[in-house]
Amino acid sequence: MNALVWFAVLVSALVQVGVSHWNRDLVGEWLALEAQQRELNQEQTRLLLEHSTLTAYGRIDQNARKQLDMIEPANIRVLTQ
Amino acid sequence: MNATPIQSDSEPALHGIAKWRFVIVMLVIALIALGVTVRLTWLHTVEQPFLYSEGQKRTVRVKSEPARRGVITDRFGQPLAVSTSVVDIGIHPNQIDPSVLPDLASALGRNANDLIRTVAEARLKKKSFIYLARQVQPDVADRVAALEVEGIQLNENFRRYYPAGEVTADLVGLVDIDHNGQEGIELAYDSYLEGQEGKRTVVQDRKENVVKLVGVSSVAKPGKDIALTIDLRLQYLTYRELKAAVEQHSAFSGSAVLLDAHTGEVLAMASQPSYNPNNRALLKAENMRNRAVADVIEPGSTMKPFTVAAALESGRYKPESMVDTDPGFMKVKHKTIRDHRNYGQLDVTGVITKSSNVGVTLLSADLGADTMWQFFTKAGLGQPSGLGFPGETVGQLPYPDQLDPLRLATVSYGYGLATSPLQLAQAYTSFTQNGCRMSVSIVMDSYSPEDCQPVMKPQVAKQMLNILETVTSSKGTGRRARVDGYRVGGKTGTAHRIGRYGYEEAKYTAVFAGVAPISNPEVVLVVVIDDPKGREYYGGEVAAPVFSRIVSQALRLRQVPPDDMPDVGQQVAGGVTWMD
Repeated sequence: MNALVWFAVLVSALVQVGVSHWNRDLVGEWLALEAQQRELNQEQTRLLLEHSTLTAYGRIDQNARKQLDMIEPANIRVLTQ
Repeated sequence: MNATPIQSDSEPALHGIAKWRFVIVMLVIALIALGVTVRLTWLHTVEQPFLYSEGQKRTVRVKSEPARRGVITDRFGQPLAVSTSVVDIGIHPNQIDPSVLPDLASALGRNANDLIRTVAEARLKKKSFIYLARQVQPDVADRVAALEVEGIQLNENFRRYYPAGEVTADLVGLVDIDHNGQEGIELAYDSYLEGQEGKRTVVQDRKENVVKLVGVSSVAKPGKDIALTIDLRLQYLTYRELKAAVEQHSAFSGSAVLLDAHTGEVLAMASQPSYNPNNRALLKAENMRNRAVADVIEPGSTMKPFTVAAALESGRYKPESMVDTDPGFMKVKHKTIRDHRNYGQLDVTGVITKSSNVGVTLLSADLGADTMWQFFTKAGLGQPSGLGFPGETVGQLPYPDQLDPLRLATVSYGYGLATSPLQLAQAYTSFTQNGCRMSVSIVMDSYSPEDCQPVMKPQVAKQMLNILETVTSSKGTGRRARVDGYRVGGKTGTAHRIGRYGYEEAKYTAVFAGVAPISNPEVVLVVVIDDPKGREYYGGEVAAPVFSRIVSQALRLRQVPPDDMPDVGQQVAGGVTWMD
């Protein structure tokens, strides 16, 4: 009986060690993933802002007029029917 | 003089001394041991809670994690307000090694001598922590972190960025440095946008490095995103045209509201002057008003269509019914109400086309104060619009018992009552939606078709659209609101501005409110130009051209088919289609 209890204590101690180690591993992994998430978030925001700057209506309007010599259809002109 | 051996004699005496000494020393040692034991027990039992908590206070920290604020977008997902990651960089002056300061300065892009002086001053004042730079880009922070210097602290934070800048500034609003909404949508939906800070418990060493993560009491929850009903393209062009007009006429201010005629959704809402929300240093409080919802204007003649609609709704008048406005002026109590000139016999349609003050005065006198008040109230005047925008005004509409004949007459042509440009636009949706006034909305998916207030019969609304179209005909006051290829209708308005001593003689508010295209209205637009200086000041001269420019581009962008293309077939048949 005594031996059994001793054995149980030993097993529980080892499991305790293992679990705390596992916990530390998971925390480490979590923090790494969190850092990665933060980086991806940063990247996404940066791209979002870049996209919105490049596709700003004012910019497209300017480029269409200046670089591509486009005009607004001032009078209705039917080209095909 | 020689030494006698006395050692053998003295020996026993020596033993005697040793014994009592021994006992005393043992006793003292025992006492010390006892003292230590008692002290140990004392510390471990009686003082333990206090000591434990003191220890925790010195090592365990609850760190808060900033939560990302939600993104505000337009109806197609274009970002209007975005939180970007930034880093606050601080140092502990007493822990930092002075020899690394030049490297640190170059990583921060600062003058080395300045930095050394700052740190030296902070040391003298025994400061334990100072900020070197706040809200810097992550790449700068990475460079600083790469130095691997002790005593530097990098705190993750967020900065709010507004990609559309001044174009949406009055609408979207802005946040303060702690990310609390201060104006506009940022304020109205603050609790929805803001996330929940995360909290985690960590053990730190003396230099504030995290040694161990004890627990996480809450994970940071990012705020929710909001999609507005704004169409950024339309917002851009509305803002551009409004700004150009305000500059051209050296006006004090201006505002424009573009609504979807079917749903009452706000497609664009601009006001001038505006501000750049990305540069807080230049903020001026007076530019931060969203004039389209916060300013009250006297709508002037843009109210006349409602007087006429009330007359048609009563069943006593038809669009063809004649009204005798001869001789072009009439006296009500002590005041003379005048038309531009004597229009003589006008039909009800003509009263709007010519914007006859005498005509609407006669109509309103015939209808009576109660009928007029009820009709105007149903149209939403003096009523909250339901938009929930901060600083929104409900305007003002006098009660029926305040409407003596003179006030009734002035209200019939839009004086003596006050609305915001938004309310005016909202009221005009009753002409486009078969007589049902739409509830305006600015957040996507809050529109419901039942959300409408019946104002007039569908048939009256239809007649009103045709009447409004005559205003942009060659006979009307709003010719310059015309749009090529589309039938548009609306009403011009020119109100005297209210100054310190009542109405000012030479200061005006020019208004144009209209709908397009008439055959199946898509948009409602109200343009207000306040205090245009120069020879042009009429609504038909100042506001109507802005209406025309905005509407023509808006209809093109929304791909609304033209409803006014005379003899297209002939043009094609004649082959005259390419030439300019």
